[in-house]
Amino acid sequence: MSKMPVSKTQIDRLGDRLKGGPHTENDLRLLDDYRQSFGEAYEAVVQTIRQGGEFPTGRLAKSTASIAEKLRRESIRLSQMQDIAGCRAVVTDVVKQEQFVASLRTVFPGASVIDRRDNPSYGYRAVHIIAEISGKPVEIQVRTALQHLWAEVSEKSSDVLDPTIKYGGGSESWRNFLTKSSASVAAYEELEKEHSIAVAAYEVMVAAHENSKKATAELLEHQLPDHEVQEIRGKLEDSTRKMERAEQEEQETQEEMLRRRNANADLLSEAVSWLDERAKEQKK
Amino acid sequence: MIFLIEYNRSKGRIVNIRDFDDSQRREAEDSRLEIELDLNRKGVDHEVVLLEAESRNALDRTHGRYFKDLRKILEDNQ
Repeated sequence: MSKMPVSKTQIDRLGDRLKGGPHTENDLRLLDDYRQSFGEAYEAVVQTIRQGGEFPTGRLAKSTASIAEKLRRESIRLSQMQDIAGCRAVVTDVVKQEQFVASLRTVFPGASVIDRRDNPSYGYRAVHIIAEISGKPVEIQVRTALQHLWAEVSEKSSDVLDPTIKYGGGSESWRNFLTKSSASVAAYEELEKEHSIAVAAYEVMVAAHENSKKATAELLEHQLPDHEVQEIRGKLEDSTRKMERAEQEEQETQEEMLRRRNANADLLSEAVSWLDERAKEQKK
Repeated sequence: MIFLIEYNRSKGRIVNIRDFDDSQRREAEDSRLEIELDLNRKGVDHEVVLLEAESRNALDRTHGRYFKDLRKILEDNQ
């Protein structure tokens, strides 16, 4: 049986009621109908992404608890909420993230892009793309592995330590840990970009050097005056030096990434120690 | 696959998880609502969420928060 369409005003009134509590059964059913009205748009977005070879995890419907919290926290109406339906993709690094975001912009022209790497939300870094299908927004979260780890720690600690952590609250030491680790993730992303450029530069130099070697071998098969031979050999040595320098730069960025990864691991280790201390205190 | 998760936020633990085939989406949505209505009647504040993933492993990767405790999330990534 088809359901009666619900007006924007009815939805916003529902949102006002959801801010309070407890919820009535009618309101929960009305919210469920509203969530289901995003089904087709969600399906279209996820199918399009899958056709591109990515398999994001879809969230068919934002939970009632999350909707009510967002309505209480932000001056937003329920009808304006853009993440009722959505999906999440976790990619390996920031270079892949850039590529994936660019491909999403192509397949969903007109989609809005919220880049939380430029403006982190209480340390949260990611790119959110809001695609709109037949007037229904669907949020696509694109996170790197490190951004995702940070978000999981923030969300989980909001669950079990203090619900305000996700929005900048919580104890000072935990807040410091999240702030420092978010900055560390940002620094690592810069290294990922530098490394990707260094790898590309090295590959170009290797290809150029191979061409130089071939050209030199061919030229040296001919009887050439000594000064020309010297010049050709000089150019080849120059190409070798450039290639070696590019290789060295690539290795240096790799080493810097390793140092940064170790620093990140130290931060995580400190956080575990803090949790252990906290558990001991609570036992006393 | 579709996963219906009932999660106790303050304890950080899954209370119940059920999976459905992709073809059972309507059933999964109905079950989600039934659980939510039941919890509401009992005055229990649990998060009820429907997620669709390629596999259980894929779900672990993108929504590990539901399955791991905080210590484990931190330790697994050191």
